[in-house]
Amino acid sequence: MQGLPTIFLIVTFNFFLLHLAPGDPASVMAGEAGAATPEYMAQLRAQFGLDQPLLVQYLRYVWNVATLDFGYSFRYQESNLSLIMGRMAATLLLAGSSILISVGLGTLLGLIAAMRRNRIEAALILLVTVLAYASPIFWLGLMFIVVFAIQLGWVPTSGMVTAGGPGAGLGHWLDVAHHLVLPAVTLSLFYMALYTRLMRASVLENLRMNYVTTARAKGVAPRRLVLRHVLRNAVLPIVTMAGVQVGGALGGSVVVEAVFGWPGLGQLAFEALFARDLNLLLGILTLSSVVVVLANLLVDLVHSIIDPRVALS
Amino acid sequence: MFRRQLMGSVPAIGGLASGLVAPAAVRAQQGRGNTLVVVTTPEPTVLTNAINSAPSVAELGTKIYDGLLEYDMGMQPIPSLAESWEVSADGKSVTFKLRQGVTWHDGQPFTSADVAFSLLEVIKKFHPRGPGNLGPLEAVDTPDAHTAILRLAHPYPPMMKGLSSMECPIVAKHLYEGTDIRNNPANNRPVGTGPFRFAEWNRGSSIVLEKNPNYWRPGRPHLDRLIFRFINDPATRAAALESGEVDVAFFGTINPAEMRRLAGLPSIEIARGGYEALAPVMLLELNTRKAPLDDKRVRQALAYAIDRKFIVDNIWYGFGKPAVGPISSVYAPSGLYTDDVLRYDVPDRVARANALLDQAGLRRGAGGIRFEITQDVGPYGDDYRRMGEYMRQAYNRIGVRLNLRTVDQATYVRRVYGEYDFDMTSGWYVGMGDPTLGVQRQYVTSNIRQGIPFNNVARYSDPENDRLWAEAATETDPAKRGQIFQAIQRKLVEDSPIIWIMEMELVALQNKRVKNLITTALGVRGGLYETKLEG
Repeated sequence: MQGLPTIFLIVTFNFFLLHLAPGDPASVMAGEAGAATPEYMAQLRAQFGLDQPLLVQYLRYVWNVATLDFGYSFRYQESNLSLIMGRMAATLLLAGSSILISVGLGTLLGLIAAMRRNRIEAALILLVTVLAYASPIFWLGLMFIVVFAIQLGWVPTSGMVTAGGPGAGLGHWLDVAHHLVLPAVTLSLFYMALYTRLMRASVLENLRMNYVTTARAKGVAPRRLVLRHVLRNAVLPIVTMAGVQVGGALGGSVVVEAVFGWPGLGQLAFEALFARDLNLLLGILTLSSVVVVLANLLVDLVHSIIDPRVALS
Repeated sequence: MFRRQLMGSVPAIGGLASGLVAPAAVRAQQGRGNTLVVVTTPEPTVLTNAINSAPSVAELGTKIYDGLLEYDMGMQPIPSLAESWEVSADGKSVTFKLRQGVTWHDGQPFTSADVAFSLLEVIKKFHPRGPGNLGPLEAVDTPDAHTAILRLAHPYPPMMKGLSSMECPIVAKHLYEGTDIRNNPANNRPVGTGPFRFAEWNRGSSIVLEKNPNYWRPGRPHLDRLIFRFINDPATRAAALESGEVDVAFFGTINPAEMRRLAGLPSIEIARGGYEALAPVMLLELNTRKAPLDDKRVRQALAYAIDRKFIVDNIWYGFGKPAVGPISSVYAPSGLYTDDVLRYDVPDRVARANALLDQAGLRRGAGGIRFEITQDVGPYGDDYRRMGEYMRQAYNRIGVRLNLRTVDQATYVRRVYGEYDFDMTSGWYVGMGDPTLGVQRQYVTSNIRQGIPFNNVARYSDPENDRLWAEAATETDPAKRGQIFQAIQRKLVEDSPIIWIMEMELVALQNKRVKNLITTALGVRGGLYETKLEG
């Protein structure tokens, strides 16, 4: 239930924060046009509602959001909600697959690093995680493009579908998957490194616990011990962290989407910010915060399933 | 902020890319059929260039819409929707005979009513350059469905250079009449008479145009489809061109250093020409109302101190040539250009600059510094910042300390054009088809308009200069008009309210399998109906 006040605070904070930025959408549009007349500027400002006092603009905005009206983007000549929804799917696909990749790979690598402690595999895994953790995400993305798209030609450089390619059916989805590989991997690397480290520490900690000793004593096979007992307990911090990653993935997707020309919300937010299309930007931030709140609810749910000690109240 | 960081990283990435292995070939083009893929930036916000003159909107709209005229490489008018035209003896009316049998993409017939409506109700009211291009246009008579007579309040020769599909696209009256034109749904589902018709817009990634099978030019266009792709990161755009996913990269999508590298690849070449209708000049605007820049000698000294050739060769990798004054040499074929002006590129220019500053009473103080000024760097990419850094060095030699200030476009427009809070700012202006249409706005007193971007922000005001521009706008004798423009150039270069640096070459990069990309003065802002793919 604390979701709603959280969203209200986010809306209020964002509204005033964004209005601190100098310049307005009319001046940007005139700037892009390369020419303007006073009548053109006045026309634009009236259209954007910029001739109203700030408080009026705010109250109007809160009321509109409460009634699920996110306004109309005069810049794009389309309703903000339909602009955002058009991009939401692409971002959720990218963020979702990157979370799956990072949780899956991170858990696996962390488990291996813990079980093969003091072996060369563990050392290699830890080296990779340090590199993945420390490299700037846009640089990694560009390097992947140079190697896998230009030199090897395995995947396309950018975009979500082949321009003029199959528009529907299985071919379309394979095409999307082909385009998804690089951006999803790029976006997942940072969290994959984090999960690997977290998982390794968590597994090592669990291996020292009494229940492991007990299980060993009663003769549980080592493989079964790890998969049935240790894994289930060790994965709890990862699930918690995955809730945090939803927010991080939405933020990180701004960079990854720009590098890979992925038509998602991050790019729309970026353009809206530079164009001072504040209503659109507010809409994006508000709906993104809804996604994050929902994702965290989901994480709580998963927690209660994996760990019987946690009860949903 | 990280857009700037991304851009900064581009040359390094490019260098690494070329160092690794030979680039992969044409995989990406297979199975695409007779489709040309171009990349431009930013993504248009609206698809009708009748109401928005942003470059990428014009690049798109000119494929869908036709103008009354087109222009050859020498900027001479050639037929488009108008088959022939005649200017009356008094210069106050122009009769256009329109092409018969032309239909809109929705099947409706195109008539003179569309021309009258587009010019008077759409272009003149909503196109940012409409009031300049159509100036004294008062009425359009339509005696029959294929004749349009433009009635002017006074003679206005520049109008004949501004009737292209870029400046005055003809839109369909039956879709716009009686509607809120700025918010008409047709703005995003454009219906024109042009070589390509709108198919789909995948926001954030691409716009697909398909061949107009009923185009009035027989056998054109050659392409079946034309796809615009939008990629925000400049390094990725270069990669897409290199991998063959994209056939043409428009000007401004790839930075100059990377362009030189890509042009060296076996599959890619530079598409020159096609910016004559724009006549772009890169320049520094000075705040002539602020000391010490209110002193002509100081402005001249700042003009002398810069080595334009160095800037062209090193900052812009040779994509341009040094400018000598406000009017680009692309106007030379029309007789409107002269280089017989005060020259700032003389060998002893630094000594002259120092002498002028001494005369102005600005002696060197502590550390050899005479005074300090700030340059607001135009928000058009990293090259402008690097040019500012060169200028800081150049001005050091005449005892002027230059500080650089870099902000995003919204803040920049507000500060420079809204508040006049600047000393010197870099940027580029398009002169359009005639100096009256694009150059005049920066120099006449009537265009000192606070808060309106891209006008006379230097606030230069001189009665003699104002009189000359007014005469040039209405003079119908080409020889006399040429003389007026020569006088304007000599006067402005002498007064130096702006420092002209470079006539820009707005070149595109193309895959070598693309043929006939640039065939008119509009270049990639033309219809591309002659463009084809080979191999």
